[in-house]
Amino acid sequence: MQLYEFQAKQVFREYGISIPKGRLATSADQAAQIASELGRAVAIKAQVAVGGRGLAGAVKFAADPNEAEKIASTVLGMDVRGETPTCVLVEEKMEIVRELYAGITWDYANKCPVIVASSRGGVDIESVARNHPRDIARLTIDPFRGYSAYHGRELATRIGLTDSEVGLYSSVLSSLWAIFSEHDAELIEANPLAVLHDGAFVALDSKFNLDDKSIYRQSDFIDRLGKMPTPPPEGLAYRRFRAKERGIPTYIEMEGNIGVVADGAGSGMLTLDLVADAGGKTRAYCEMGGEATAQLIESAVQVVLTNEDVRVVLINLIGGLNLMDEMAKGIANYVVAHSPKLPIVVRMSGTREDEGRRILSEHKIEFFDNLYDAVETAVRFSKGS
Amino acid sequence: MAILVDRGTRVLVQGITGKIGSFQTQLMVEYGTSVVAGVTPGKGGQVVHGVPVFDSVQQAVHQTEAEVAISFVPGPYACDAAMEAIDAGLRLVVVVAEAVPLRDAVRMLAFATGRGTFVLGPDTSGLISPGRSKVGVQPHRLFTEGRVGIISRSGALSYETAKTLTQNRIGQSTVIGLGGGPVWGFTYRQALEMFRDDGDTDAVILLGEIGGHIEEDAADYLRNGYPKPIIALIVGRTAPPGQKMGHAGAIIQQGKGSAQSKISALKRSGALIASAPREIPEILRKELRL
Repeated sequence: MQLYEFQAKQVFREYGISIPKGRLATSADQAAQIASELGRAVAIKAQVAVGGRGLAGAVKFAADPNEAEKIASTVLGMDVRGETPTCVLVEEKMEIVRELYAGITWDYANKCPVIVASSRGGVDIESVARNHPRDIARLTIDPFRGYSAYHGRELATRIGLTDSEVGLYSSVLSSLWAIFSEHDAELIEANPLAVLHDGAFVALDSKFNLDDKSIYRQSDFIDRLGKMPTPPPEGLAYRRFRAKERGIPTYIEMEGNIGVVADGAGSGMLTLDLVADAGGKTRAYCEMGGEATAQLIESAVQVVLTNEDVRVVLINLIGGLNLMDEMAKGIANYVVAHSPKLPIVVRMSGTREDEGRRILSEHKIEFFDNLYDAVETAVRFSKGS
Repeated sequence: MAILVDRGTRVLVQGITGKIGSFQTQLMVEYGTSVVAGVTPGKGGQVVHGVPVFDSVQQAVHQTEAEVAISFVPGPYACDAAMEAIDAGLRLVVVVAEAVPLRDAVRMLAFATGRGTFVLGPDTSGLISPGRSKVGVQPHRLFTEGRVGIISRSGALSYETAKTLTQNRIGQSTVIGLGGGPVWGFTYRQALEMFRDDGDTDAVILLGEIGGHIEEDAADYLRNGYPKPIIALIVGRTAPPGQKMGHAGAIIQQGKGSAQSKISALKRSGALIASAPREIPEILRKELRL
């Protein structure tokens, strides 16, 4: 899960990394008030959990409270790469000398954490790596021994920091490492890590992706973070929120009119490809993973159908761990409870398929053994025939 | 002789007394896998589907000479269980748990490195050599004995492909699930090396997906030539970028790991590209003159 910037910054502050002064605003009025309290130019930053926010025009500067109000009213409610921010972070605008980068993530090939340091922060770190390879330094860390301050000093020296900067930079890395290892981060970044006129370091932006599979052991930590206001009961943010609340691991929307439910990531992606090949367009996609229950598939069908554009639901099940009788029960429960008017096309194969198919037949739910027949049928329904 | 496991390979099941572990053990025993021991700490002395249960892997190995482990231990405890099996010297450990924390997955895999144990997974469907042994969770009715090897990240995609082959009367030698990623013990490269030397395998199907770069790594390996036909299928061609498609590894970021880059790399290395499982039987018939 990607934490919101304000949540990540709260963690940074707790671990001793300086961040700009500021607060969250849920309205334009509130943004103006915070700007007037800060008494200087401010940055107004949409709180969304997607990348490319700045390029989408959702991070802006305001010279005074009036301008802050105007900008906040535009940013609140704008579409930021498919998300609508319910609040903005209003922060003092910092006068900076230069921008650095500090981040930690996993090196999957070498099976260890890797620290990435750069003297060119603020821009896409991938393009720095491509165009200015000398300005970026990497250091892999032994997963059993962990990080030590000398690693930080080595990296700071390699990216050409001055003697006085080396200590500050390596202390930021020590803090980032503490967050990374104590809170199961998948990626943590201070970028840009700004150098001010007085030489101090301030993290202007922060990124913190928590490993989804570690959430169970970070629940106290997550509860402690400030909460995002619940999205209004319509739109993508709300449907995502609902899917998550019901324990659906993957929920994705595209532009189309077919709802797809699958019980495996690989077969789910195959289903999407085959739908596209057959001339259909997927609107909503739920993937349930290999530990699905009757309840979960019932929720998945329900979440997919909250999209008004969906005209047909295609369910592709080919389970090893997932039991087809459980899946059939979930689909039958949905049909009994909601008597849907839209067609539901089921493809079912795998462990306990005979039992599953019997349940579907008892409820007069049509099913296919062949995936392509199911896909073609769903695409036909989506075109209104 | 199939790769990795064969008729009579002595298999140990970790987490055998749990609901999933016990049910899947029953299926493996029915299939003919020689499951010789189970392990659940504190449940030693019990018997599950005719299999004796021990308190530790060490004890189980000592008593039964188990060679290979499959673990149904849930995510939070999976790392400890895998390290116990690696420490006991098993040559292959199959980690089924889907929700293994990333930090734990990295630790278990780093621990296995240099200790001579292959780790399959985590989040894997395991492996099956149809008609000989199944150390996994595959719906085995969809599989049939034969001479085509399959390597897949996704379990379900390997079932789909095996089902298509079986319906077309093309059997499989060994079918391997690598796991959902983003970090893997066993990868395509090692599986390709084993299939190359396997006298029972005539062709290999490589089932990949978007994200990460283990398919590109496989393409690098294949570039120097491979003595058997390779058929590759990459799914996620139409997935939107920047989204996790269910598997932790399946995400296109900043143009990296796209289906197109994988397909081009594999094609350049001589693999034949299929865009759906149903195209594979015909390619195989042509290549193998079936």
